[in-house]
Amino acid sequence: MIDHIQALHLAAGVFLLTAVGALWRRQLPAKVRLLVVQGVALAAMIGIIGAQRADLELLAVALGLGVLRAGVMPALIRRALVPLPQEQRETRPVVDVATSLLAAALLTLLAYAVTRPLVALDPTPITAVLPVAVAVVLIGFFTLTTRRRALSQMVGFLLLDNGITATAFLAAGGIPLVVEVGVSFDVLLIVLVLQMLTRRLRATVGTTDLNELRELRD
Amino acid sequence: MPTTLLLFAPIGLPLLAAVSQATGGGRRWSTAVGVATSVLLLTAAAALATEVTRSGPVEAAGGLLSADALSGWMLLVVGAVALLVFASGDRHGVRRNSRWYPIQLHLFIAAMATAVLAGNLGVLWVAVEATTIVTAFLVGHHRTRTALEAAWKYVVLCSVAIALALLGTILLYYAARHAGLSGISALDWSQLAAHAGELDPAVTRIAVGLAVLGFGAKAGLVPLHAWLPDAHSQAPAPISALMSGVLLSVALYAVLRVKLVADAALGPAYLRTLLLILALATLAVAAVLLLTQRDYKRLLAYSSMEHMGLMALGVAVGTKVAIAAVLLHIAGHGLAKTVAFLSSGHLLHQEGTSQIAQVRGLLSRAPVLGGVFGVATLALLGLPPSALFASELGLARALAADGLGWVLVVAFGLVLVAFAAIGTRTAGMLLGGPAAPVVPVDAEAPALVGAGVTAAPAGGAGSTVPAPRPRASESPSPARPARVDLPRTAAIPLVIGLIVVAVLGVTTWPLTDLLTAAATVAGGGS
Amino acid sequence: MTAVIASFAQVTMVVLGAPLLVGVMRQVRARMEGRVGAGVWQPWRDLRKLFRRQPITPVGTTWAFRTAPLVLVGTTLVVAATIPLLTTTTALDRAADLFAVVGLLSVGTVVLALAALDTGTAFGGMGASREMTVLALVEPTILVAVFALSARVGSTNLGQLVDATLHNPLQVMSPASLLAAAALLVVTIAETGRLPVDNPSTHLELTMLHEAMVLEYSGADLGLIELAASMRLTLLLGLVASLFTPWGIATSLAGLPLALLAFAAKVTVLAMVLAAAEVLLAKLRLFRVPELLAGSLVLALLAATTSFFLA
Repeated sequence: MIDHIQALHLAAGVFLLTAVGALWRRQLPAKVRLLVVQGVALAAMIGIIGAQRADLELLAVALGLGVLRAGVMPALIRRALVPLPQEQRETRPVVDVATSLLAAALLTLLAYAVTRPLVALDPTPITAVLPVAVAVVLIGFFTLTTRRRALSQMVGFLLLDNGITATAFLAAGGIPLVVEVGVSFDVLLIVLVLQMLTRRLRATVGTTDLNELRELRD
Repeated sequence: MPTTLLLFAPIGLPLLAAVSQATGGGRRWSTAVGVATSVLLLTAAAALATEVTRSGPVEAAGGLLSADALSGWMLLVVGAVALLVFASGDRHGVRRNSRWYPIQLHLFIAAMATAVLAGNLGVLWVAVEATTIVTAFLVGHHRTRTALEAAWKYVVLCSVAIALALLGTILLYYAARHAGLSGISALDWSQLAAHAGELDPAVTRIAVGLAVLGFGAKAGLVPLHAWLPDAHSQAPAPISALMSGVLLSVALYAVLRVKLVADAALGPAYLRTLLLILALATLAVAAVLLLTQRDYKRLLAYSSMEHMGLMALGVAVGTKVAIAAVLLHIAGHGLAKTVAFLSSGHLLHQEGTSQIAQVRGLLSRAPVLGGVFGVATLALLGLPPSALFASELGLARALAADGLGWVLVVAFGLVLVAFAAIGTRTAGMLLGGPAAPVVPVDAEAPALVGAGVTAAPAGGAGSTVPAPRPRASESPSPARPARVDLPRTAAIPLVIGLIVVAVLGVTTWPLTDLLTAAATVAGGGS
Repeated sequence: MTAVIASFAQVTMVVLGAPLLVGVMRQVRARMEGRVGAGVWQPWRDLRKLFRRQPITPVGTTWAFRTAPLVLVGTTLVVAATIPLLTTTTALDRAADLFAVVGLLSVGTVVLALAALDTGTAFGGMGASREMTVLALVEPTILVAVFALSARVGSTNLGQLVDATLHNPLQVMSPASLLAAAALLVVTIAETGRLPVDNPSTHLELTMLHEAMVLEYSGADLGLIELAASMRLTLLLGLVASLFTPWGIATSLAGLPLALLAFAAKVTVLAMVLAAAEVLLAKLRLFRVPELLAGSLVLALLAATTSFFLA
């Protein structure tokens, strides 16, 4: 049937497509759903690498990360969603959607160019998928800078982080467990902090549109 | 004392204090706990410093924590600033019944101590990220619109920066794995230094660039610096003091550690160029924006950015003289900026406004407060005998000796611009005559009050309208006394802090050996 | 010899079958909407009526207006003779290059837009500008999507592409192929002016793209344009079918009848699916159309990068 490498490519494809989709869709709940799919794809990628190396620890890490990135964190972000209709759609972004999609394609090409030394250091079929992870990092960064809703920025941050985690596992087979636990815990706390700040924003300012915060200027 | 205990104490003591604060207790109890913890922290730091100066670097927890002369110096600065903040007992701007505030404060100090004592790039990263998380709520403490805006910007920008640093760390781990290291020790400072020659140059270049950009953004360097003025101006004064005084320096310490590895693996040219560009850009942005400042807390925040630019310049040069200057600058800036922010907290409480144009004649109205604020600003501007004068002189010498004469001219030109901006504004705030005698309320008063009140909105935006001003400030709140000054309990620690800055500027005894050892660790050759 | 007969058969089949295909689509839509429908032969009846009428040329138009329908039909016939619908080696095999075929299709669109501008009316100008916006995004998408498929084969000759898929059917399931298929479907819809990009039965100013350009045509000219539009739809659907489901394509003269039947079946099924989707989808607002097309371009680019770097 399909061997490990093809399955890895499929998971990587879903990983990248969900990132592009999060940039494309306007509805905030849809973006969170795409994040869930991306978390599952990330866990699948790590699981495939672990299955290929027959590494039980890696499989356990894949399971844990899947629960975290596909379950816990999107649930936290969903809690920051305000149930009112005017708060559920993206307000006009800094770069409109069509241009953002073209920018996403360019960022993917840029990722391929930038990761050439990384792939050259250890050319295996697994590291060949590195550009996809770096592309997701770049797309996350782009989402973060061009979107105006607090929730979209949280989604962008999570895209960034999913991409970095994917890089870690594709390049080096994961980072030391101590650091991995620390990183996951830190990211979880950041998402929690952002969620609480979003609720305070809604209570104090009345909207989660960050363009309304214009008082601190030089 | 066993070194393991010495390494765990600076982290464990604030954690214990945080736990003890969780059970509540009044302001006096928190102040007492805070002062006690920082005294113990400072003692442990001093003991650790003597230990490493005498017998070299020490390690604990399987290499996760380690200390050498450089960490010893940084830990001393952390302890001193913490002590200053707790001793001055300033809780102006802090909500009265906030239970979380002392806990978050102690967690903040614990995280900074962990970052300084980290023996491993991974632990350093986790600690720096922890400082962002803990300070997020401290910055947004006031729950006003502006505070929330500042907190949001702070969390998002710093998290993105730290994520970039994480990517750099992961890529460095990848390169280290390829050079034969494995497991947690692949990120160990000593291991990386030992195997630096075997790290792949292309991958290391990307990794180190990302790490420097990420940690540098946390230190207030361009391009991800936009959080700094907002966060430091909206946070309560003690938090601003800790962030400006120590957190920025700890982030710069992280950059310095990464530079040590990079220089061994790639040669000094790469990071030198990168840091020179970032430092000069930071100085330029800070100097230009200082010219337009109207808020004194923001003024102090941009001043921090300017100083971080200078320090980054020193790190870029990287020689022993330069690093010694940077370390002295860290100490002097830490203490002086803390005093400045703490006194600005009192100022805000007293004046009720943070606009520069609405504070006039401070020296005549509140001599102690004005004096402390003025002397702190003079110290920050680099006038002798401040430690910052000595460190800037050392930095200039290092730049000249390294053949970077043009950098020296540009940098100090920008410093001069900043000097002018800060100097004129502070002088405007401090100098000026005493308030006019209060006009007795009689039949004339309504007309005068009317004139005063109509003059106030016209002049309130920032222009100087001298004549009606004293009346305008009297009539809306005649109950405010003309002289409210800094209480003695708050003034004494601040004055002691300023004296230490002055002393450091003249001589570094008894810390000379520590400074030399730290500069050797980080400065390499000459 | 086989090639010449095959090309001839392709052209005849496309010319005769295209209006029938449009009729099938309209009938499917009618039935799904609960109407009786006009029957599958209605487009042929319309064409017969149009060809018997006298064409009227507006005052002030030049040769651009008069020659556009002819050039449009001409390029479409060349493409019909070239691309591998019934066999993989057609008479104009050397012209069956990806870039040449896309260029020919674009020539047709551009000529029509020029004719619309030539009329000097507001609707003509508006239709032309909208169509050019769509074309600017559609053309790179087709090129990149088929390029993605050609990376594996090492040649952009469409015949060789179909040949390679014939011999290795499982590679249709690879991510690059799937992404390219998605992109090509979106492009087919956009290029031929179907919902959700353009409504072929509307004449409202807000919603017209293709119809706005041909508003001034009448009689035989209009008949030619309608025929060309239906032929382009058949060709694009046939191209998608050949690239991704090449079963039944003849490799010798004896296999031609079977190839004809297979082609008719595949294209009819695709058209029925498209018609059903049209009933269920609403037309996209005009400023959202570039978003959809940019999205399909991204899919095509991802397909190309995937096939280059991961194959």
